[in-house]
Amino acid sequence: MINLAYRDISNGLGRYLLTGLGLGLLIGVTLTMAGVYRGMVDDAHALIDASGADIWVVQQHTLGPYAEPSTLHDDAWRAIAGLPGVAETGNVTYLTMQVRHAHADVRVMIAGYEPGRLGEPRYLVAGRPVQRSHYEAVADVKTGFQSGDVIRIRRHDYTVAGLTKRMVSSGGDPLVFIPLKDAQEAQFLKDNPAIVNDRNRIIANPQLNRPGVPGLLDALQADRSANRNVNAVLVRTVAGSDPRQVADEIMRWKRLTAYTRSDMEQILVVKLIATSAKQIGLFLVILAVVSAAIVALIIYTMTMGKIKEIAVLKLIGTRNRVIGGMILQQALGLGVVGFVVGKLAATAWAPVFPKYVLLLPEDALRAFAITMAICTLASLLGIRAAMNVSPASAIGGG
Amino acid sequence: MSRSLKRYLVPAGAAVALLGFAWFVTQHGPLAPQPVKVALAERGALAPAVFGIATVEARYAYAIGPTQAGRVRRVLVDQGDRVSAGQLLGEIDPVDLDARLDGAALAEQRAGQGVLIAENQLREAQSRHQLASANAERYRGLAVRGFVSREAVEVRRNEAEVTSAAVAGAAAALQAARQDVARSGTERSGLLRQRANLRLVSPSDGLVVAREAEPGSTVVAGQAVLRVVDPASVWLKARIDQAQAQGIVPGQPVEIVLRSRQRDKLAGTIARVEAQSDAVTEEKLVSIRFDRLPEGVTLGELAEVTVLLPRIGDALILPTAALKRVGGQTGVWRRVEGKAHFQRVDAGTQTPDGKVAVLSGLSAGDEVIVFSPVELQEGTKVKAS
Amino acid sequence: MEPAIKLEGLVKRYGSGAAAVDALKGVDMEVWPGEVVGLLGPSGSGKTTLLQCLGAVIDPTAGRISLGGQTTFDNQWKISDLRELRRDSIGFMFQAPYLIPFLDVTDNIALLPMLAGRPNGEARERARELLAALDMSHRAEAKVSQLSGGEAQRVSIARALANNPPIILADEPTAPLDSARSLAVIKLLNRLAEQYRTAIIVVTHDDTIIPTFKRIYHIREGRAHEERGEGRALD
Repeated sequence: MINLAYRDISNGLGRYLLTGLGLGLLIGVTLTMAGVYRGMVDDAHALIDASGADIWVVQQHTLGPYAEPSTLHDDAWRAIAGLPGVAETGNVTYLTMQVRHAHADVRVMIAGYEPGRLGEPRYLVAGRPVQRSHYEAVADVKTGFQSGDVIRIRRHDYTVAGLTKRMVSSGGDPLVFIPLKDAQEAQFLKDNPAIVNDRNRIIANPQLNRPGVPGLLDALQADRSANRNVNAVLVRTVAGSDPRQVADEIMRWKRLTAYTRSDMEQILVVKLIATSAKQIGLFLVILAVVSAAIVALIIYTMTMGKIKEIAVLKLIGTRNRVIGGMILQQALGLGVVGFVVGKLAATAWAPVFPKYVLLLPEDALRAFAITMAICTLASLLGIRAAMNVSPASAIGGG
Repeated sequence: MSRSLKRYLVPAGAAVALLGFAWFVTQHGPLAPQPVKVALAERGALAPAVFGIATVEARYAYAIGPTQAGRVRRVLVDQGDRVSAGQLLGEIDPVDLDARLDGAALAEQRAGQGVLIAENQLREAQSRHQLASANAERYRGLAVRGFVSREAVEVRRNEAEVTSAAVAGAAAALQAARQDVARSGTERSGLLRQRANLRLVSPSDGLVVAREAEPGSTVVAGQAVLRVVDPASVWLKARIDQAQAQGIVPGQPVEIVLRSRQRDKLAGTIARVEAQSDAVTEEKLVSIRFDRLPEGVTLGELAEVTVLLPRIGDALILPTAALKRVGGQTGVWRRVEGKAHFQRVDAGTQTPDGKVAVLSGLSAGDEVIVFSPVELQEGTKVKAS
Repeated sequence: MEPAIKLEGLVKRYGSGAAAVDALKGVDMEVWPGEVVGLLGPSGSGKTTLLQCLGAVIDPTAGRISLGGQTTFDNQWKISDLRELRRDSIGFMFQAPYLIPFLDVTDNIALLPMLAGRPNGEARERARELLAALDMSHRAEAKVSQLSGGEAQRVSIARALANNPPIILADEPTAPLDSARSLAVIKLLNRLAEQYRTAIIVVTHDDTIIPTFKRIYHIREGRAHEERGEGRALD
């Protein structure tokens, strides 16, 4: 027995493929939307996973360092490093700001870290790590910077030594890593007029500006302009120990707040993404319904165009099952073509999309299964029309 | 084309398309192996260097001011003036010091007069004593011959004793008067020295870099009125991370880039490594001498210094970007049968241009993964690109 | 010898009660293998209904139908699978060829044996045989859209014969054709009927071919009347 669906499609291959192309673009958009959602979740995860940390220690009673500002002394790590279960620690600062390059400002998150300690960028895609103790940076490729570019952060020029990838803040801003001391200065030191203003205020204060104590004024100025704060201490726990326990230890003894990885995920992913997830979910449902409607319409139209042939087929003895199968196969074939086109399209335009699009294989498989299901359902309309055709109508009217 | 061939064309085409699609997904999608860039470990020379930020300071700087509180009377030089050793730079108002000096001079004079008086009084007492002694002697002689009464002898003897005491007293008074002179003398020289301190004198040749008090302002002991530096002693105080400062010894060459002159690379030498490091900032303090003092450099200016450490002639070299830390251990990622595998290595010196010496764990010609688009895990599928 | 088609007292009633209409009021008919019989009648005479009963697409209300010696309908009883009956026992020809446009000529013909379960190779072989018999071998792989009217007509004849049915129902097969072609078609039908021992009923009102029938049934007001036809020779 020959396959009627195959013959029918072959007879009008161009039109069929064109229809599949249209459907495919719709599916591509759906896949991309799902990819955008995954990308947002991945953005929120990127910072958490890429740091290599198991615990984030922040200012007590804050949700920092990403969701809320948090300030700690930069020697707090010494006390934490001594606790059982702590393998290594690292001071970090985070500050979202504009940096200047060529003639454009780029919005980035400045991450301060100490080389060799937690908080450093863990892999590079070009260049080399920061070697000097000051004024060098490693930037994420999303900034558009190249190795060797000179960028301006606050008062100093930094040379981009290397590039990394997928280092983004939870809001999608790319990261620029600079030495901790530079980051501390960038975070807390003001620009020149403000500094001069502060100095004058101290000089004008008779309590601080004592004539009998030479050198007091200078000491005060130096203290004012130094920054000894960081935003968080990252902790890596000893293999085999429970981060939850270590975090609780830290919280109990050190008057600080400590979050494990799952806590941070909760803070960043769940809270930040919740609204967007609902929006995207709704969008996906709408797209699915529209796709189903389109497939149903197309298959119905294709079937109605063959009404006479279907009557003749029934008359000459073709089973209902064969005719129904033909329609179903055509619908499923459309789904396959559409899915292939959609997946190729989504993969092709994902890198160009302004937001990060993450296409996962399981999402593609799920999309395929749903497409097949939708096509099956959509074919029912056409199948119903075909079943209602009476073979007698081939004879009647003759 | 024969019928059967044509018949198979479309399903064949479809099969090819699906295979192509499958290939595409496995090569480009999330299932694909990660493209990584690799490099070979090579033997070669390394030029290690250490970077730090330095401030221009003067090794010999003097804060010139009074030793006690006073009011500035005059300032004779200004910022930028060259001065020589011993030159009078300014003066603190002596206030009543001059009057006290005059008083001390008068007191000294008066004390001198006192000495004269005491001397005369001593002579007088001495002559009286001489007379009384002579009389006593004479009377004693007379008493022996019975010419005078014993009582008369006693009286004369007593007189002699009294006058002797008077002489002693006058001598003592003279001593006291002489000490008075000495005391007023030392008081006066003390006041003179104080007066001298009110003169601000340059201790050495140099350049005035700051004028911090004007005539009429009150200054306290220890407060600087002027700051003088020896311009030949201008050098750099650099702060170098303790972790990187190993191997820095005096005599090593240094490249200096002043912030005000970023295009010029100046030459310098390590003069001294300070014994006291900064424990709070965890930096070592290193003093660097200019090989040739540049014109117009100002104190407090910032500079970037790079200490050129001795070259390492032969070492196994890798790009520093290949060095990774996983679970607290240092090592590199290698490609083993298409998968990433972490290999522990011992790393040595790192150079500013991104090379590192490998001490153990690899041999020359070994391939390592340098760049990867994602963080590698043990077993991640990779392919060289 | 059994007649290829035998109708006895066939009644078809539409509706029920007072509004009921009898399209067929008791039709008797016999057609023998190898015969080409004409079926004439004005529209509204029940001709279409009769054809639909003969074609096993509708069930009569009463009466008896035998096809190829096998009873297919007997009052309330009917053969279970009408579709199979149509497939295996009845060949259809229409006014227009009604070929399946997305199958080529060979497959259009081979479709019927394939539906009957024959292997594809055998079905196509049968199709080639029939095409040869109809002088259409050179068009074996043509698409339907490439055929001329006459060629398409002949392909539809071949299709009707594909399963070697005992009867063929031809509904106005010559209506769109001119006289010469009409005669050619009737001549062909006669030849094939004789060759394959098929009984052919031709519904027509074409005066060009009516004289060629040896026997004619007239349908009038739901009844069939047999007549002798002219039986004009075809050559």
